Amino acid sequence: MFKKSVLLLALAGVSLTTLAAELRVMTHSSFSLPKERIAEFEKQSGAKLAIIKGGDAGEMLNKLILTRANPVADVVYGIDNTLIGKANAAGVLEPTSSKVGRNVAVASLPGAVAIDYGYVTLNIDKAWFAGSKLPLPATLDDLTRPAYKDLLVVENPATSSPGLAFLLATIAGKGEEGAFQWWGKLRDNGLKVAKGWSEAYYTDFTRNGGARPIVVSYATSPAAEVFYSKEKLAESPTANLLLKGGVFMQVEGVARVKGGLQPALAQQFVDFLRGEAVQKELQTSMWMYPAVAGVALAPVFKHAAQPASFSNPDLKAMQHKTAAWVSRWTRLVIKNAP
Amino acid sequence: MQKVLPLSDYRWLALPPLSFLLLLVGLPLSRLLYEGGLAFSPALLGDAYLQWRLGWSLLQAAATCALTLLLGLPLAWVLAHFEFRGRTLLLRVLMLPFVMPTLVAGLGVLALFGPHGLSGLNLQDTPWLLLYGNLFYNLPLLIRAAVDGFDHVPASRLMVARTLGASRWRTFWRVEWPVVRPWLASALCLIFLYCFSGFGLALLLGGQRYATVEVEIYSLVAYELNLADAGALALLMLLLGAVIALLYALIERRLARPDKRSPPLRQPVQGWPQRLLLLASLLLLALFAAAPLLAVLLRALLADAAAWRVLLQDDTQLALGNTLRFSLLALLLATLLGLLHGLAAQRSAGLRALMFLPFMVSPVCVAFGLLLAYPAYSATLALLVAAYALLAYPFVAKAVVSARDALPAALPNAARTLGASPWRVFWRVSLPLMRPALRRGMAFAAATAVGEFAVSLFLSRPEWLTLTTLIYQHLGRPGAANLEAALVLSSVLLLLALLAFMAIEWPEKTHARTS
Repeated sequence: MFKKSVLLLALAGVSLTTLAAELRVMTHSSFSLPKERIAEFEKQSGAKLAIIKGGDAGEMLNKLILTRANPVADVVYGIDNTLIGKANAAGVLEPTSSKVGRNVAVASLPGAVAIDYGYVTLNIDKAWFAGSKLPLPATLDDLTRPAYKDLLVVENPATSSPGLAFLLATIAGKGEEGAFQWWGKLRDNGLKVAKGWSEAYYTDFTRNGGARPIVVSYATSPAAEVFYSKEKLAESPTANLLLKGGVFMQVEGVARVKGGLQPALAQQFVDFLRGEAVQKELQTSMWMYPAVAGVALAPVFKHAAQPASFSNPDLKAMQHKTAAWVSRWTRLVIKNAP
Repeated sequence: MQKVLPLSDYRWLALPPLSFLLLLVGLPLSRLLYEGGLAFSPALLGDAYLQWRLGWSLLQAAATCALTLLLGLPLAWVLAHFEFRGRTLLLRVLMLPFVMPTLVAGLGVLALFGPHGLSGLNLQDTPWLLLYGNLFYNLPLLIRAAVDGFDHVPASRLMVARTLGASRWRTFWRVEWPVVRPWLASALCLIFLYCFSGFGLALLLGGQRYATVEVEIYSLVAYELNLADAGALALLMLLLGAVIALLYALIERRLARPDKRSPPLRQPVQGWPQRLLLLASLLLLALFAAAPLLAVLLRALLADAAAWRVLLQDDTQLALGNTLRFSLLALLLATLLGLLHGLAAQRSAGLRALMFLPFMVSPVCVAFGLLLAYPAYSATLALLVAAYALLAYPFVAKAVVSARDALPAALPNAARTLGASPWRVFWRVSLPLMRPALRRGMAFAAATAVGEFAVSLFLSRPEWLTLTTLIYQHLGRPGAANLEAALVLSSVLLLLALLAFMAIEWPEKTHARTS
C-alpha cells in the first residue's frame, strides 16, 4: 500500500523525487541546527532531509491542519505544550515515542517526543535599573503601581508565541478573573503591546534604544546576550525577572505526521533529535534546555538563572480555552473595553 | 492574409497574466473561502472596534495619498525641470526605501525620532511617526511617476507657453498638469492600496492602536484558523480595494491622452533663487526619504570591524546568491506578465483595475489558500518565485499602461503605412518609446522582489535563505552582535539594490534621436 502510493505519486510527477528517499521535516521558523548535524543524519540514514519552515509555531500547526488530507511533511518539530492539545484533537499527529534517552522531570508532551524546554519570562535592562535607582518589582502587582508606569512592553498574544505564553502564565498564576483584572490595571498603567518578539526587543526595550526597561522574553536571553556580545562580557547586561505568575514553561517536541510518506525515516529523525550531539548543540543554536536527562549544559547558561517554579494552565484548559482567553485579552487591552 | 489588428486592441494579450492571477489568487482564495464556509459570525461587521479599524485604515491611506501628493509633486517638478550633477543617481537612490525590511526601516526611523533619537524629538507611538513612515515608503513611488509624467510634456508646448508670456504657475496648471495627471493616478492608487492593507510599518511605528484590518485577518487565519471570519473580512477588504482600483482605472482612462514625445527640457540651475529651490528640495528629500536609511548606514559603519565579518559567513554567501537568483527570476516573470497586462489593459478599465489585484487581496489568505489548493507544490521554488512575481508585476504593468497611454499614435501609424508588421512596429517604435517607463517599473518590481513581503507567509526552506530572511533571523535573537550583523547586512542590501537599479535603468543615449 505504502509502496504503491509512493509509486503513484512519483508517476504523477507530484513529488520532487530524487533517487534517495526524501524526509520532509516541518519546523517553525526558529529551528536551527549546525549543518554538520544535518549532513550526519543524511549520511546515517541515506535519505535527503528537506526542512520546511512554516512560520511561527502556531501558524505552522495551522498549516499542517489545513493540509491534513495531503500532508506536506512526514515529521514535525516545534509543536509545544500550548499547541499539542489542538494538534492531537485535529488528528494531524501519529502518536510518537522514542527509546533514546530519558526525559528530565519537567519535559513531557502527550503523543509527541519532547526535545527541549525553556521559559518565557520578564527580562530587565540592568543598566537602566542601576541608573534609575528604582527597586526591581517584586510581584506582578507592583507593575501596576504608578512607580512602574510606562516601563513594560509585552508581545501581542494574538500574533506572538512568547506573548501568548506570558498571558497563559498570568492566568495560571492569578486565576482567570484575577489575571484579567491585573491586565486591565496594567493597560491603564501605560502597558505597551508590540507585534512580536523582534519588535519588542529591538524597538521598545531600553537595551536597544527603546523606552521600556522590562520586556517579555526568554529565560535564556541573558545568556544569549553574553554569547552574542561584541566583546567578552563578564556578566550579562540583562537579567531574568522571575515573578510569581510571570513564568511559563514551554516544552517543544517532535512527532510523526499522520499520513506521512516516510514513517521509518521519520522515527529515525525523532531518535536523532534525542541523541546527545543534537541535545548539546540545540542549547546555543535554539537557546533552549535539553529535554534528555544527563546532557551537560552549555557553560554560557550560567548567565541565565533557571526558574525554580513556573505557572502553566493544564493542557486541557490550554486546548479548549486559549482562543477565548486571547479574544478576551484583545477586547480588554487593545480594544480598551471594560 | 493575416488579419491585422488595430494597434490599440491587444486585449488578448491579457490571457497569460489573467491565467496567472487566476492560478495564484483566484483559485487559492476561493479554496480558502470554501474551506471556511459561510458560517462567519454575524456580529463581526457590527463590532464597533472593527469598524473603527476599517475607518482608520481608510483614513490613513487617504491622508498618506494627500500628503505624498502635496509633498511629492513639487519635488518631482524640481527634479524634472533642472539639470544638476547626480540627478540620475538621485532618482535611483530614491527607490531604496522600497527594499528596506520593515523592522530595519523602523530601527532607522527610531534612531532619528525615537526615545533616544538624534533629532531629540521622541515621536514613538504617535500618529506623526506613522505618517512619516508611510511617506518614507511611498514618496519614491509618487515622485518617480510624476517625474516620468513631467518628462512627457512636449518641450515645444512649454516653449510656446513661455513665449506667450505665461507664468510658471500658469504653465504648470494649463500645460503640465493635464499631462502629469494620469501618471499620478496609478501611483496614488497603488499608494492607497499599500497603506490600506499595510501590515508592517504602521504597526511598528504607530503601535497597536493603529493596526489595520489586515492584522486582524492575519491573526484570525494564522493563529485561530477561523477561516470563516477571516474570509468575510478579506472579501470586504477586496471589495473596498476593488472599488478604489476601478475608480482609478476610470479616471485614468478618461485623463489619458497621447502626446508628442520629445526629449525633456531641463535647464541648468542658474542664480540663487533656483539654487535655493534646489537645495530646499534636496533637504526635504533627505529628511523624508533618506534620513532613516542614512541612520542605518551610519550605525553599520560605526559597528565594530568584527561585525563586518558576517559578510564572510557561509549563510551570508548563500543569502547573497539566493537574493540575486530569486530577484532575477521574479523580475523576468514580472516583466513578461507586466508587459502583457499593461499592453492589454489600454482599452479596458476592468483590466486596468485588475492589475492591482495582488495588492487588494489579503496576503495571508492567499498564502494559506495556495497551501490548500496546491499542497504538493507548496514548498517548491517555483511557487515561491511565482509569489514574488505576483507582488512585483503590478509595478511593471502600471508603468507600461501609463507609457502606452502617452504613446503618440502618429509614429506607429506611420510605420504601419510604410509596411511594417505589427510586431515590428511594436519592437522598433512602441517599445523604445515606452522603455524608460518600463525600466522604472522593472526597478520597482526588482525592489519588491528583494523586499520581505511574501517571504514570511509562505512555506520556505533554509537553503532558500535570502538577505531579508537572514536579517530577520539575526533580529530574532538577543545580543549586540546580532543587531550589528542585521545593520551591516541591511547596508549591503541597500548597496546591492542600488547597483541593480543602476543596471536596470542604465541611462539611454538612443532616445534623443526620436525627437
